[in-house]
Amino acid sequence: MTTSLSSLICSLVPAARVNAVLRQDLTAQCQDILSSHIGQSHEVDFNQVVDAIKRKLLRNAPGGTDVLKFTNLLARLLKQHILSRKPEVLSFLTSVAFQEDPSLNPSSLFTRPPSPRRALKSKPATQVKQEPTSRQDTSTGRSKAQILREHRQSKSLHYAPEELLLRDSIYILQGITGKYIQFSSSDEDDDRIVFLEDQVTRYTVSPSTKALVHRLAELGYLYRRVDNFIRERETASGIGMIEQSLCHHLQSQLKEYYRLIAVLETQALSSIPQTGLERSNDNLASETGVSLKRLDVWLNDWRLRMRMMSVCVEGAREAQGGALVNLIHSYTDNGDPFVRNFTHQLLEEVSCPFFATLHKWLFSGDLYDPYGEFFVAVDTTLGPTQVAHPSSLSGGINEISADGGFGAQGGDPDDFAGPPQQGGKLWENKYQLREAMLPNFVGKSSGTKARILSTGKSLNFIRYSCHDSEWVVTREKMSSFRGTLKYSDVNGLEKSIDSAYRLASHRLFEVFIEKFKLLDHLSALKHYLFLGHGDFADQLMDALGPSLAKPANALYRHNLTATLETAIRSSNAQHDTPDVLRRLDARMLEYSHGEIGWDVFTLEYKVDAPIDTVLDALAMEGYLKLFRHLWQMKRVEKTLDRSWSRVISGARTFIRVPELEHEWHKIRISISEMIHFIRQVEAYCRLEVIECSWKVLIDFLNKKEGDLDSIIGAHRTYLDRVVKKIFLWNMKLGKEEVVHNMMKDAFAIVLMYREAMENFYNHCLSEAARRDQAADEQRGVFTGKYEPSASEDVAQTLTTRLHQYGQNFSDKVQSIVQHLQVHPDLDCRFLAIRLSFSDYYKSRKEARS
Amino acid sequence: MATRESDRNASAQQTLDILYEMSQLLNTQLTKETLATCIGMIENGVNPDALAAAIQELRRENAAATLSTAQHRDPSVLPR
Repeated sequence: MTTSLSSLICSLVPAARVNAVLRQDLTAQCQDILSSHIGQSHEVDFNQVVDAIKRKLLRNAPGGTDVLKFTNLLARLLKQHILSRKPEVLSFLTSVAFQEDPSLNPSSLFTRPPSPRRALKSKPATQVKQEPTSRQDTSTGRSKAQILREHRQSKSLHYAPEELLLRDSIYILQGITGKYIQFSSSDEDDDRIVFLEDQVTRYTVSPSTKALVHRLAELGYLYRRVDNFIRERETASGIGMIEQSLCHHLQSQLKEYYRLIAVLETQALSSIPQTGLERSNDNLASETGVSLKRLDVWLNDWRLRMRMMSVCVEGAREAQGGALVNLIHSYTDNGDPFVRNFTHQLLEEVSCPFFATLHKWLFSGDLYDPYGEFFVAVDTTLGPTQVAHPSSLSGGINEISADGGFGAQGGDPDDFAGPPQQGGKLWENKYQLREAMLPNFVGKSSGTKARILSTGKSLNFIRYSCHDSEWVVTREKMSSFRGTLKYSDVNGLEKSIDSAYRLASHRLFEVFIEKFKLLDHLSALKHYLFLGHGDFADQLMDALGPSLAKPANALYRHNLTATLETAIRSSNAQHDTPDVLRRLDARMLEYSHGEIGWDVFTLEYKVDAPIDTVLDALAMEGYLKLFRHLWQMKRVEKTLDRSWSRVISGARTFIRVPELEHEWHKIRISISEMIHFIRQVEAYCRLEVIECSWKVLIDFLNKKEGDLDSIIGAHRTYLDRVVKKIFLWNMKLGKEEVVHNMMKDAFAIVLMYREAMENFYNHCLSEAARRDQAADEQRGVFTGKYEPSASEDVAQTLTTRLHQYGQNFSDKVQSIVQHLQVHPDLDCRFLAIRLSFSDYYKSRKEARS
Repeated sequence: MATRESDRNASAQQTLDILYEMSQLLNTQLTKETLATCIGMIENGVNPDALAAAIQELRRENAAATLSTAQHRDPSVLPR
């Protein structure tokens, strides 16, 4: 040091070569200057120096050739590795040059505070910058930073150079563990990173840099999660289509991410040609290349995106299919336009398979949902299994007609294949709504989802259950409406759903009414089971009457069916279509010991698929119950008719027992009361219940609105109304069947009365015969052995019984009337008025009380 | 080993040439030898600004010395 100083002095001050005193003097002076504070107030910044030199050169020689020359020299200088302190050398040159130029104050250039932008950029560089020189810092006024730095130096701990951290950060971004920064473990859930700052690497990382790296590492962590998810799904089987498309979208996003990382990496590498070898280049790199802070800024956008992706991934673990779409859709209501756009994009892609399924379902009635993601679930145990393949979506008509929708099982009229309730169950249970899978944007209005379900169901039903060959026409009509369904076009979606729904349900209506003659079946049920064809009922009653009086176990079904056949032939029913008559059948219910034919006989109307969708088992049960009740009523009416003829003609013509005339009169009064009762009840059932309900039903069917569900609903209402009113059901709990039971009792009493009357008639007849015999004997004509008169008490018992039954009947009807008067149903109250038209029962009651 | 040493020398020479050119470009009026000495000192850790100040001081001294030799009898100009 001293020798070089003295040589310097010698070369600069030739006088000192000879003058030793002067030389010593100057040496001391120079030592003083060198150890002073000059130039220690700031760090030497390479770029600053270069900039200053260029500026000065430009001022001296405005042509710019000097600057060019200097740049050239600088480039050459940078290639030389012999110097370790290039900035300092340059700084020295500048200082000397500026001293030559008195117009420029060098201190103004070097001591000015760095501009804020520069300060920001160069900060990490200064932080991690090593100070390999042992500075001749002998001054006492050291700053705390300097003390700290020295302490670190003494412990041989250095800040890790930024480019190393940068390289590691870029690794971390790709989920790769770096040399100095590592993921704490390979476990994905452990999201910590650790800095290796031990004795091996001899580097330490300042807390601010750590925070920065942590921020960057979040991306790496998220990336790992997303990437793992995609890998997992790629290899796994049975992944839903929506999830697959989510994976695809994530994959394409990740591709963008890779591209970004590749760009970053090239930038980082190109700005640092010899990473870590040349200290002097650090500052240049921090000026033009990538720094941790810049990385952070550039990746900010991606951080948000990665977070969104990671959220989706999380969601996909728990939800699938429509629920997943739903989950993503819930993020579209975000105030942040970035999040919103991202989700929209994602949804557009993810909802594609959903809409494809929806499209197929809406326009073809096929449910192609191999992974159970759609919001309509199919019960494969029911109904004809169909193989819906994706190609039929885009396929032509030929293909559709070839896929066995019809023709496979043509309408063989005698084919009652399968269990009879299949159709109804098929419609109701085959396809069910899965609420969880319903995307919000589809089911905004509550009706939409029902319409979607109904449309698909209708089409499916038309195709596979009705074997309707003309559904292709419907399909054609629909295809004119359909566009492509997309997430971005929700309004168009609603419109398509509406039109599809209208067409499909209309078609189904037509199929049911025109092809399957629903109306014919309904009226047949009304005519036969509700005894609408009076002549047929009479014939049947007449033909069956005698055999039905026998015990149930003496009846045979073939006899019954033969009788039924006779009844049909001999009545107007023979003009009905064979298809209807074919379905009519006589049957016996399960009977127990002691029951007679009347109790077990029933008429049956057989329905098959697909009509049994409307006329399901439950409805048929209702029909049967009603038939039995009406049949019973008919029987009572018939009985009374016959009784009346006996009372009016027989009793007047043959019986000549004057003392019993009065009894007969009473019987006539009783029977006419009964007839009045049964006629009113029958008229009520026929006119006010059956016909009124029927009109409502027919009106609905003529409107041709709504889908199959509404037909089923209308028919159910019709039947319910009829059942309720005919059975006079009271809505009050526990009293539903009170009036109905009383009615049955009344019927029973009528039948017993008739029996008692028959007995009495026979008694009177034999009495009259006996009296005739006696009269003949008196005239001397022997007509047989005289039998002593039957005891008076036989007639007495018979009349008492008759009287009792008559009284019972009156009481019964009276209480029926009483109940009906307070019945909640208005029609039933009118029945009460009809039954007791002139307040007959009321006055009776008052008279008795 | 010899080649490395010569390489090193050559490269040092080259560096010095470049720096000398720069110095001429900047019009520092340093001779090549002085420059070499200065670079050596800076490489040894001397603060460049301080060194520049020292050189300026020396130059001023030199100017004073030459002045004093020119006006040898003038007592007002004395070496410090």
